[in-house]
Amino acid sequence: MMYVSRGLSRASRRFRGKIFGEPLSHRQATACRNLLPCLDSSLGDDPSLKVLGCRHISSWSWGLPAALYSIRHHIHHHSASIVEEQLDPFSLVADELSILANRLRAMVVAEVPKLASAAEYFFRMGVEGKRFRPTVLLLMSTALNVSIHKPPPDTIMGDTMTAELRVRQQSIAEITEMIHVASLLHDDVLDDADTRRGISSLNFVMGNKLAVLAGDFLLSRACVALASLKNTEVVSLLATVIEQLVTGETMQMTTSVDQRCSMEYYMQKTYYKTASLIANSCKAIALLAGHTAEVATLAYDYGRNLGLAFQLIDDVLDFTGTSASLGKGSLSDISHGIVTAPILFAMDEFPELRAVVERGFEDPRNVNLALEYLGKSRGIQRARDLAKDHANRAAAAIDSLPDSDDEEVRRSRRALIALTHIVITRAK
Amino acid sequence: MGNKLAVLAGDFLLSRACVALASLKNTEVVSLLATVIEQLVTGETMQMTTSVDQRCSMEYYMQKTYYKTASLIANSCKAIALLAGHTAEVATLAYDYGRNLGLAFQLIDDVLDFTGTSASLGKGSLSDISHGIVTAPILFAMDEFPELRAVVERGFEDPRNVNLALEYLGKSRGIQRARDLAKDHANRAAAAIDSLPDSDDEEVRRSRRALIALTHIVITRAK
Repeated sequence: MMYVSRGLSRASRRFRGKIFGEPLSHRQATACRNLLPCLDSSLGDDPSLKVLGCRHISSWSWGLPAALYSIRHHIHHHSASIVEEQLDPFSLVADELSILANRLRAMVVAEVPKLASAAEYFFRMGVEGKRFRPTVLLLMSTALNVSIHKPPPDTIMGDTMTAELRVRQQSIAEITEMIHVASLLHDDVLDDADTRRGISSLNFVMGNKLAVLAGDFLLSRACVALASLKNTEVVSLLATVIEQLVTGETMQMTTSVDQRCSMEYYMQKTYYKTASLIANSCKAIALLAGHTAEVATLAYDYGRNLGLAFQLIDDVLDFTGTSASLGKGSLSDISHGIVTAPILFAMDEFPELRAVVERGFEDPRNVNLALEYLGKSRGIQRARDLAKDHANRAAAAIDSLPDSDDEEVRRSRRALIALTHIVITRAK
Repeated sequence: MGNKLAVLAGDFLLSRACVALASLKNTEVVSLLATVIEQLVTGETMQMTTSVDQRCSMEYYMQKTYYKTASLIANSCKAIALLAGHTAEVATLAYDYGRNLGLAFQLIDDVLDFTGTSASLGKGSLSDISHGIVTAPILFAMDEFPELRAVVERGFEDPRNVNLALEYLGKSRGIQRARDLAKDHANRAAAAIDSLPDSDDEEVRRSRRALIALTHIVITRAK
């Protein structure tokens, strides 16, 4: 929050007074405050503070001279980069997320009580996880709210069509979350995991059979919801995701040594296991909105690169933990014999590390040996660099979207870009 | 790795089924078969988690049997009709055929688990009852001999309890009533085929005769 006031006082010092010529009325200031909630806490009640780049004011003709619009636009561009630092992408969609959460809970209700409690296990309040995917998808929905054939605003039909599209896009978010949780449930059975999201795993609490069934149940509900969108391309897209999730998991379980030591294999597996879902649901968002193949591909690129960046940092954090140094992480990947990007990079520099990997990691001494090599190598840094590269590509995809004057659209795009930074800089 | 690979294989098949389904580009069919998956899961869960009351209820048993056995064939028959662009009425007849055939099949399955290839009792594998699964013949027998319920409630881990239940079953008309119910469903399945819109095409007629033949085979089979 410190950032906000600092940024704004910087901005207001630059722009207060002469630029607009007229102080805003109290009404105008309030309106702007409501439209730009991230600025809210710093605006206070000072109506003389010139609000930065509020498009909606221009359409209400409250007496701003026309010549000032271009200047305002320029100011807006500057303010955008200042605002970007303090933008919290998650809070932008928080309200919408609670609506989704309630709908999700209703969607996984089952008639058999045991199945009901199993299915809703990870949708209960407090254990929904970060809801990263729905956040991205909701932001993407707004970010793509560019009129291709947009109905006239403020008409009843226009509003209905827009609202209906939004509900359909929210549905993608719900479906994505169901597919995601279903895969978690099965993965935990496959990995014999005891905990997930800070609580006991479902298989631990209710046994493998019920966990498997619950995963199947969620998958089937997702399919029904998918079908009800009546868009066969979207159905196809997300059906392929399910297949890719399974393929990714199989790739992880059944690797030969050669495959385990291959960066290419690893990135393919990572795409299947982590990035495919978010990439293809982003694409689905674009398709539902009737966008061109080009725009749909940009959405896909964003999701794909964001997902890959996320996983690469995940790999790094598994070694470093919240400390920048090695060995403070949970080391869960390597203890399960899963070879990730940092180790693969290190193997590049130290071919002898491959022999260590081939011996497997059941022996903790082998783990320590691998960590030694990792520490000597630039493996961690190179993994971070690759993550940053993907994050940048994700941001570039957003920047390539067709221009929009709509402040909500621009804000969502800034939020999506902010996410590409968050994914890289997070400590856990 | 046994269970794990099995789960993974199942998921893989499911995902391939989803992709194949999607490629049909018919969202009603996708919906139908997605509902089947849900019902298969529900049926399996019903079987796993019954209370004693539910285990002794014919209604619960038939519902579970529909979910576990009949739903898949019923809804895929319906999907066949939908893909061909038939009316809702014809689609429903296809559904009815599948549903009744599936139920008939399961009921005879239940009987054979007791009788095996012989018409007499106890030569079957008795796999259901040893797993504590109460099927139609026993449920019918409980009708005639309420004291059998107490035996069921005790569970079937003790082989002496199994023998006791078999005694009651033998004294009762449970086996015959299960067969009768199966025959009833088989007849309904055949009736559904007979109600289909007429056709002069010999292939069409022959396939319909074959479908009816199946309703007999399902009843008279010995295994």
